[in-house]
Amino acid sequence: MSSENRSYEALLGIAEMWFRKAGWLPFPFQKKTWKAFLDGYHGLLNAPTGSGKTYALWFPILLHYIQQNPEYRTKKTPGLKAIWITPLRALSQEIKQSAERIIADLEIPFEVGIRTGDTSNAERARQRKQLPDLLITTPESLQLLLASSGYPKKFASCYAIVVDEWHELLGSKRGVQMELALSRLKTVSPHLRIWGISATIGNLEQARQVLLGPESEAFDRSVMIRADIRKDIQVRSLLPETMEKFPWRGHLGLHMSEAVIPIIEASKTTLLFTNTRGQCEIWFRHLLETHPEYAGEIAMHHGSIDKDTRLWVEQAIRNESLKAVVCTSSLDLGVDFAPVETVVQIGGPKGVARFLQRAGRSGHRPGQQSRIYFLPTHAIELIEASALQEAVREQAVEDRIPYLNSFDVLIQYLTTLAVSDGFHPDEIYQEVRQTFCYQTLSKEQWAWLLNHLVLGSQSLRTYDEYKRLEVLEDGRFKVTNRGIAMRHRFQIGTIVGDADITVRYKKGGYIGTIEESFISKLNRGDVFTFAGRTLEFLQVKGMQALVRNSQAKSSKTPSWMGGRLTLSSEMSKILRDELYTANLETEKQSTEIRALQPLFDRQREESIVPGPGQFLIETFETRDGHHHIFYPFEGRFVHEAMASLLSYRISLLGKATFSLAYNDYGFELLSEEAVNIQEVLDNNLFTAEHLIEDLQKSLNMTEMARRKFRDIAVISGLVFTGYPKKGIKMKHLQSNSQLLFEVFRDYEPDNLLFQQAFTETFEHQLEEGRLRQALERIATQEVVWKDCRRPTPFSFPIITDRLREKLTNEKLADRIRRMTQILTGGK
Amino acid sequence: MTYSVEISGATFTFHSWGAAYWEEERMLLISDLHLGKIMHFRKYGAAVPRLALLENFRRLEKLEAQFKPATICFLGDLFHSHKNREWELFQGWTYGSKAKLILVEGNHDILSPLLYEELGMEVLPEWNIGPFWLTHHPAETDQKFNIAGHIHPAVRLGGRGGQRMRLPCFYLRSNQLILPSFGAFTGSHTITPEAGDRFVVLAGDELVALEQRGKKKTLSLNQPS
Repeated sequence: MSSENRSYEALLGIAEMWFRKAGWLPFPFQKKTWKAFLDGYHGLLNAPTGSGKTYALWFPILLHYIQQNPEYRTKKTPGLKAIWITPLRALSQEIKQSAERIIADLEIPFEVGIRTGDTSNAERARQRKQLPDLLITTPESLQLLLASSGYPKKFASCYAIVVDEWHELLGSKRGVQMELALSRLKTVSPHLRIWGISATIGNLEQARQVLLGPESEAFDRSVMIRADIRKDIQVRSLLPETMEKFPWRGHLGLHMSEAVIPIIEASKTTLLFTNTRGQCEIWFRHLLETHPEYAGEIAMHHGSIDKDTRLWVEQAIRNESLKAVVCTSSLDLGVDFAPVETVVQIGGPKGVARFLQRAGRSGHRPGQQSRIYFLPTHAIELIEASALQEAVREQAVEDRIPYLNSFDVLIQYLTTLAVSDGFHPDEIYQEVRQTFCYQTLSKEQWAWLLNHLVLGSQSLRTYDEYKRLEVLEDGRFKVTNRGIAMRHRFQIGTIVGDADITVRYKKGGYIGTIEESFISKLNRGDVFTFAGRTLEFLQVKGMQALVRNSQAKSSKTPSWMGGRLTLSSEMSKILRDELYTANLETEKQSTEIRALQPLFDRQREESIVPGPGQFLIETFETRDGHHHIFYPFEGRFVHEAMASLLSYRISLLGKATFSLAYNDYGFELLSEEAVNIQEVLDNNLFTAEHLIEDLQKSLNMTEMARRKFRDIAVISGLVFTGYPKKGIKMKHLQSNSQLLFEVFRDYEPDNLLFQQAFTETFEHQLEEGRLRQALERIATQEVVWKDCRRPTPFSFPIITDRLREKLTNEKLADRIRRMTQILTGGK
Repeated sequence: MTYSVEISGATFTFHSWGAAYWEEERMLLISDLHLGKIMHFRKYGAAVPRLALLENFRRLEKLEAQFKPATICFLGDLFHSHKNREWELFQGWTYGSKAKLILVEGNHDILSPLLYEELGMEVLPEWNIGPFWLTHHPAETDQKFNIAGHIHPAVRLGGRGGQRMRLPCFYLRSNQLILPSFGAFTGSHTITPEAGDRFVVLAGDELVALEQRGKKKTLSLNQPS
C-alpha cells in the first residue's frame, strides 16, 4: 500500500517539479485532474481556453505511462497510447507543441502525430502502418480510422482519449459522431479513460452524460472538475456621437469605424470580431482604405482563407507583429494569443457564451482583465449592447442541446464499420444503445436501419439492384463493393454546411475557399472582394473558381450562410428587461438606453416602446403590401416558428398568402390584403394549444425540414458530394437532395431519415420548448395594437430583411392566378 | 387537368403530369422520362424510394387509358444510363401498351437501338411529321415548328409580398414547344423569359398559362380559350 502511495506521490511530484521549473504553480483544478485520471476516473473538465487545460490532461496521460513502464526512458512499448480530439484543425499544432514540450522534458521517447484533413498522403500511409504514440485528430478523422480494416488492433493499446472543446461538439452532429466512436472504443480499448474538456455552458452535467453515456459504467466512474477561473471582464459600448445619423436597420457598422481607431492605437494587438465572413472582408478593406498607414500591420482571419495564410496570421499575433486582426468565429476557440490586449465585437454576438469567449481572447493570462468593446451596427443593437453587460455580470450562459436519434449519423457510422471489418448487429446495437443520442433507439428502428442498409427499403423485391451492405455467411454486415467503400470514405468528413469552391488565380495560386452559392451568382467579369483582394471572376472549372486581380473600385462581397445566428433564450430575456428600462426615468437607465432616446421618441410618435406587461403589434401599409409586425423579443428562431404558426392559423380563417420575415426582436407577416388583427386576438391565435399539430401543418415547416434534409441526405449517403477536386458541382447535390426530399414525401413519408428532418426542425430549429414558453408569456401580457401610417423604427430592421419565407393555404394554381403581377427571373 | 392550345393548325392538349397530346394525329408526346435513374442511384448505395420508379409506369398507363393514343412518342432521354432492372419494368409496360412506340433519341439514350427494336419500337434521330419537327435537343429552324425536350424547363414566379415559387412548365415560343421532363426524380432548369414567351405551368393537378407580354420580367395570365 505504502509503496504504491509513494509512487503515486512521486508521479505527481514529477509534474509539480516541471511546473516549478517553468516558473509556474499548478492550479488546484490541474492537480485534481491529474489525481482523478491516475485513480482511473473518467471525467469532464470545465475550464476556459488559456487556463492551462492542456497540461491538466497531457500530464496524467504521460504519468500513467511512466507508472506502467518504469523503464520508460529506454524501453518503449509499441502502439497508440492516447488520442486528443479537437474540433478545429487549427488547434492541433498548439496541442502537439504542448505535448512535445513535456515529452522532451520528461525524456519519454514518444512520437506525437497529427491526423486531420490537412495531413499529407505520405504521413497517412505511415500512420496506416503504425499510429503514433499520441495522436491528435478531429472527430471525422477518427471515424476514418474506424473505417480502416483491422482497427480494433490499432486501438487496443490506447488508454486515454481527450475530447477537447466538447461544448463545441455537443450541440452538433459531430458530437454524435464522437459519441458513436467512443461507444466502439470502449469495447476495443479495454483500458480507456474518457475525458472531455468544456467551456462553461448551461448544461454541463448533461454534457458529461452525453460524453460518457447516460447510464454507462464510465459515467458511474466519472468526475466533474471545475476550474472555476472567473475572468474579470470589462465591457464598453461604442456610442455614436449623434443618434440622428445612426442607421435604423442592420448594417455593417462601417459608419462607426473611426471609433475603433483610438482603440487599436492604444493596444498592442486588437482583435475585431465580426459575425460573418462577408462583414469581415468589408471591414478589413474599409480599414485599409481609410487608414492606408495600417498596410502590413493589420490582417484578416476567417474560415475560408487559405490555411497557410491563417497560420501566418496566428503566428503574427503571437509575435506581436500585428496591430489588429479582423476575424470571425474562426478565432473563437483555442490558440493562446497572449499579446491580444483588446477585443472589439462588431454587431450583436447573439449569445452570452460566445461573447464571453471572445472577451476572453484578450488578457489571455490567468488573473488578467479582459477588455471588450461592443460596436453596434444599428440603433436597436444598442439595447443588445446594454443587455450584454448585464449578461456578463450574471454569467447567464446558454445550453447546448444535444441531438437525439440522429439516424443519418448512425447510418454513416454503420457503413463505416461495414467498410472496415464488418459488424455484428447485436454487438453494435448494445453499444449504440449506451450512447446518449440513441438511448431510446428501439428494436424496430434498429431493424429498419439494417433493412435500409442492406435492402435499401423495408422489403425485398426481385428486380431491385440496391447495393450497399451485404450480410456475410458468418453474420457480419460488410461492404464488399470497392466503389461504395471508396465513396463512403470520401463522404465521412462531410458533416458541414454549404459546399466550398476553391478560389484560384488563373495563372495558378490558391487563394481560399468560398461558398458555391456566392460563386454561382457571379458572371464573368464581375469583381468581388475576397481574402482582402479585389478579384475579377473568370470562370468556374470543376470545383474551382478562376480569378485574376482587378483594379476596379467597387465590388461585391461574398455572403456566407454561417452569418445567421439567433439570440439565445437567456440573452432574449435580458434583452427584454433592458428594453423595458426605456420607460423608466433617465437616472435608472444605462448609457446605451439613454443614447437611444431620440429613437424611442420617434417610435412613440405612432406606436409605443412596450413595457414588461405589454405585447406590441404594429400594422401599416407600404407599396410592398400590408405589414403586420409582432414583437415578442425572443430571438430569430422562435420568431421563425411563431410567424409560421400564426400565419397558418390566420389562414384557417380564410384563404391567405403571406411572406414572412423575422429578426431577433420580432417578426412580420406581409400580405396583399390586410389582416384583421382584432379577429386574430378574438380567436386567441397565440394559444400554445395544438402547437405541434399546427406547426406541422404549416407549409413553412416543410420548407424548414427540406433544408434540414439536405444535410441528412449527405450524411446518410443518399447523395454523394463528389470526389475532392474531381468536382461534381454542389448544385447537383443540392437539387438532388431537394428532389430526394420530394420523392420521399410522395412515396416514402414514413422513412426514418425523412422524418428526422422534421424532428430536427422541431427540436433544433423551432426550439419548440422555447416557443411554448414564449406563447405562455404572451398569454399573460396585454396586447397593444397600433395601426400606423408608416414604418416605425422598431419595424425597420424587420421589413427590410430580404430573406423571406412564405406560407399559404391556397392552391398553387389559384395563387398564380391571384398574383397581381407575376415577376420572373432574378435570384 | 388539361389545357389545350392550337399550334400550326393542330390541337395539342397538355396534361398536368407533363405530357402533350396531339389530337389530330392521336399522338402522345412525352419527354425526358429518365427511366433507370432511380435504380442507378440505388445501385450506388443511395436508397431512393423504389415506389417512385413504379409511379412512372403507373402514369404512363393512366395517360394511355385517358387519351387512347395511336402513337406514343418519347422525345429523348427515355433511359437515363446503362441498362438495369428498370428495363424489365419498361419491357413489361411495352407489352401492355396498345400504341405504336417511337423514340427520338436523346443524349442520355446510350442503350443500343436494337434493344428498343426488339420491343417493336422505332428509334429515330429526329422526326419530321406534318408541320412539326420532333427532336430531343431544341432545334433552330425557320421551316417547321420544333417540338423538343432536353432542358426540363421550369419558370420562377414571384408576386407582391415577396412570394416566390418555381414550377416546371411547357415552354412555348413562336416556333418551338419544349416539354417538361416527365420522370419522377428528374429535376428542372429555370428559364429566363423573353418577350413573347408563353408558359403553361404544372401546378399540382392543374395547369396555368402565362405569357410574357410587353413589360420586361413580368408575366400575365392567359386564360384558357
